[in-house]
Amino acid sequence: MSFYKDHYQVVIIGGALAGLSAALQLQAKGITDILILEKHNLPGGLATSYVRGGVEIEATLHEMMSIGPKEERLKVGAFFDEMGVDIEWLRVPEAYRFVETTKGIDITLHAGFETMSSEIDAQYPGWGPKVLEFMRLCNTVYNSMNILSVTPMSKVQMLLKHPEFVKTAGYTAKEVMDTFAFPQDIVDILTPYWIYVGNPMSTLPFTIYAFLMADYFHGSYVAKKFSHEMSMKLERKAEENGAQIEFCQEVEKILVKDGKVRGVRTRRGDEISCDYVISGAYPNRVYTSMIEPLSEVPVGAVKMINGRRLSVCPVSVMMLLDGTPEELGIKDYNIFSGNTMDTDEIWKELHTTGPYRYLTSICLNLANPGCTPEGMTQFSITTLPLVDGFLDLKEEEYFDFKRKLGKQMISEYEQMSGINLHDHIVEIEVSTPVTISHYVGAWKGSIYGYSHSIDDHAVARLQMKEDDHYIDGLEFAGAFAISGNGMGPAVTNGRAAAKAVFEDLEKKGLMPGQEGGAAR
Amino acid sequence: MKIKGFLKDVGGASRVTKMRKALIENASPVPHPQDPIRELADALHPGKQKFVVTQVREASPTARTFRFEPFEENGVRSHIPPFQSGQYVNFYLTIGTSTVTRAYSISSAPSSVRGEKPFFEITIRRNVSYFVPDYFFKEVKEGSVLTAALPFSQFYYEPLRDAENVVALAGGSGITPFVSMAKEIAAGGLDCDLTILYGSVKHTDIVCGDELAEIAKTCPRVRVVHVMSDDPEWQGEKGFITTDLIRKYSCGIPAASGEQPEDMVDTTYMFCGPWAMYRVVRASMEELGVGPRRFRHDVMQQPSNVKQIPGFPEDQIGKRYQITVVRGVQEDVIGAAADEPVAVALERSAIPVDTHCRGGECGYCRSQLLNGDIFVSPLGDGRRAMDKEMGWFHACSAYPMSDLTIKIPIL
Repeated sequence: MSFYKDHYQVVIIGGALAGLSAALQLQAKGITDILILEKHNLPGGLATSYVRGGVEIEATLHEMMSIGPKEERLKVGAFFDEMGVDIEWLRVPEAYRFVETTKGIDITLHAGFETMSSEIDAQYPGWGPKVLEFMRLCNTVYNSMNILSVTPMSKVQMLLKHPEFVKTAGYTAKEVMDTFAFPQDIVDILTPYWIYVGNPMSTLPFTIYAFLMADYFHGSYVAKKFSHEMSMKLERKAEENGAQIEFCQEVEKILVKDGKVRGVRTRRGDEISCDYVISGAYPNRVYTSMIEPLSEVPVGAVKMINGRRLSVCPVSVMMLLDGTPEELGIKDYNIFSGNTMDTDEIWKELHTTGPYRYLTSICLNLANPGCTPEGMTQFSITTLPLVDGFLDLKEEEYFDFKRKLGKQMISEYEQMSGINLHDHIVEIEVSTPVTISHYVGAWKGSIYGYSHSIDDHAVARLQMKEDDHYIDGLEFAGAFAISGNGMGPAVTNGRAAAKAVFEDLEKKGLMPGQEGGAAR
Repeated sequence: MKIKGFLKDVGGASRVTKMRKALIENASPVPHPQDPIRELADALHPGKQKFVVTQVREASPTARTFRFEPFEENGVRSHIPPFQSGQYVNFYLTIGTSTVTRAYSISSAPSSVRGEKPFFEITIRRNVSYFVPDYFFKEVKEGSVLTAALPFSQFYYEPLRDAENVVALAGGSGITPFVSMAKEIAAGGLDCDLTILYGSVKHTDIVCGDELAEIAKTCPRVRVVHVMSDDPEWQGEKGFITTDLIRKYSCGIPAASGEQPEDMVDTTYMFCGPWAMYRVVRASMEELGVGPRRFRHDVMQQPSNVKQIPGFPEDQIGKRYQITVVRGVQEDVIGAAADEPVAVALERSAIPVDTHCRGGECGYCRSQLLNGDIFVSPLGDGRRAMDKEMGWFHACSAYPMSDLTIKIPIL
C-alpha cells in the first residue's frame, strides 16, 4: 500500500508560512506537482493556536507585518490578495507603549510616521521633525530592501537608485542613529523593537533595524480567527491548486546522489522521489544529520552553519484571565517594559535563564475584541532569550523550571504595571525553546534563524546567495533564509525559495511553457 | 546624506560581505549534529514506546492496577518521561481485528518515575463487560508488552493558578488521577491539601480504597470522604455529592486537634467522572459561586449512548453509512454506524487513528471532511474556530449523518 505517487517535482518540508507560500508561488508559475510534508497535525508552525477549556488561544506573538490596508497593500498583503487568500485582517490599534522604570520613561506610540513623531514631540518638544526625518530614512531603506530582494541590479545602479540603502548598509543601527544626535530618551523610545530581530543595536545592521521600524510603523494586523486562520487559508489554497499535503509526517532524511537531491524519507519510513526539496528544517539539522549519505555534505556547508550564530527564541507566558481588560485595568495592547534600554546590558541577561526584566506584554482583546468569550481576557508576556541558558536543562527539573520562569515574568509585569494577573488566571501555559522544538522541530528551539549581526548581514547574504547554495535541488525556506525571521519575512523567504526552483528549471529549459517543461 | 564619509559609506555592502565571507571561512569544518533542546523535548515527549507489565493487582473486587516498566528491545530501553498527577497515558492496542487507542489516567505518583526502578501504573475498573477493559482483564498479565505514549492532558494541579486547598470530586473510576495526586502529596512532590469526595454506589465499588486509606492515615494533607449512593449499611456520607456536601468539605482539612474553620476557604475543585455526574457537579459549582478559574475537570469520553448527547438527531440512531477514507493517494471505503463516532468506524476497520482524549477536546484526531454531513457533539468540543468553519473535525466526537469522504493523517 502506498500513500504517495512514485515521484513529485517538489517536496516541501514543513507546512508553515514559508512552505505554504513557496507552494503558492510555485503554483502561480504552473509548477503544481508538489508534496508538502508537515510534522504536526495542522499547518502553520508557530502561526497557530490551541484550545484550553473551550477557548482558543493564540500561540505566539502574532502581529502580521507588511499587510497594509486593502486599498494600499504592502508586500505580503499584496501577495495574499494575488494568490486569492482572503484573510479577515484586524488592524492593531497601537504600535507600543514603552515603559522604562529607571528613568521613568512612559510613552505610547501609534502607527504612522507623522503620528508617532508628533507623539514623541509632545513629550520632547522640538524633536518631532528630526524623528520624522529618521523614520523617513527607515522607510526609504525599507522600500529599497523590498525591491532589491527580488530585483538584482549592479552596484552603480544601486547607488544611483537607492543611495540611502547603499550608504547605510555597512553600518549598525547605533552608528546611523548616532548621526541624528537624539537625546538618550528618544534613542530608548525608538529601540524596543530591536528584540524582534534579536541583536543589540551596537551590532544590528541598520538595514534590518530600518526595515523593522518602517514595517511596524506602517501598522500591523492580526487575523480575526487567530494565526490559524492565515495558516488554514494558505493551506486550503495550496491544496485547491493541486498540492498534496500530509500531516504528521516528519521528514528524517533528504536523499542526495552525486550532489543532487533525489528524494526524502519520512520517519514513518516512506521513501519519496523528487527533483527538488524546499526545506523548512534548519540548515544545521539538514547538513549534520538529514542529508543521506552525509558524505554528500560539502565542507563549506558545515563551515557556513558553524560560523553563523543562532538568533533568539521566545519564552512566553500565555494566560486566559477571568475579567475584561477594563475590569482588570489593562489599557494597552502592547507594552515593552524594562529597567534599561541599553541593549548590550539586556543582551547579557538574555544569555541566562532569567530573571528577565525586558518584557513585551500583549492583550489580544484590545486588537481583537472577539478573541475570547465575554468577560475574559487573553494576555501574554514574552521575552526573547538566546538558547544558551537552556542547553543544560534536565527533564526532571523542567516543570518546576517553567513555573519559576512564569512566576518571575508575571510578577515583573505586575510590579511594572500595578495590575494583578495572578488572581485572575483561568488558563496558563509557559512555552520555552523546548516547547517550540517539540511542536515545530526548529533547531535548538530557535525560531528566529541566524542572528542579524553586522557580520552576517542580509545584504551580504543576498550577495552570497550562490556561495550559500551547496546541493543541487535543495532550497531553504524559513527564518534561517535570507530575509530572516518573523511571519512576514517567512512568506518572503518561501517565495524566494520557489523562485530559486523556477530559476533553476528555466536554466535547464524545464519551466512550464518551455520546450521540455511540463504543460501548464 | 552622509554617515561617515562618502567612500566609507558606499563601500558598506562590500565591507559587510567581506566580513561574512571571513566569518564562514574561519569557522570550524567539524559538524555538530547535537541538539540538546530537541533531546530534552524528545525525552519529555518520547511518543509511542513499548512498556512491560511487571505487576497486576486488585484495586477493588472489580478493578485492577497494572504496573508498567521500561522495556528493552534491541539494546534500547524505553523511557518513562516525567508527568504530572492527573495526566494520562495513551495505549495503542490491537484487539481482534480492531486497532484502537485508549487513554487511562495514571494512578501512580510522578515521583515513582524518578526512583531506581521507574514505573507508572493505571487502574482499570470493569464492573460490566466492555471492549478494552475486557482485553486488559483477560489478556494483559505480568510480562505482557504494550505500546503506549505519555503524558497528555492539562488536568493537573497548577501552582501558578490553583488554590492551596483542593477538593477533588470523583465518581467511579474517576478516582484514579486523584490517587496519583494523593500519593504525590504524601511523597512531598506536590504542595497542596487534598480532600477527595468520592462517590460510589456501594462500598465494594470503591477503587483503590485500601491505598487511599493508607495515605490518609499517614499524610495529614490528604483526606478521603466516601459517599455511597445505594449502600444501606454504609456508616459514612450517603446519597450523592450535593452542593451541601461540597460546602461542608470545603473548609480545609481539620487539624489533628479536630479544629476546623467553619467558613469555606479558597479552593480549587477538580472533577473526574462521567458526564451525568459532571452536570450535577457543574450546577453545584454555580450554586457555590465557583468561577471557571477554580473549577477544573478532566477530559470526558463522549457518552456511549448517543441519546445523552444534546442535539443528537435520534432518527439517525441505527442508520449505517459508508466512509471513503483518504490517506495520501490511497482511498479505502469502510462501513460506519451513525450512532458511533467516526473514530470508532476507523478502529473497527483497523485504520489507525490517533485518538487520545476521546471527548472532542484534545484534537489529536483532527481530520478533514471532504464530503458529506457529520454531527459534532457539543460536549467538550475543542475545535478551533477556523477548523469549524473549514470543515475540520475531531474524529472521536463526530458522527456520520450521511456517506462521507474524509482525509486523515497517514499513520
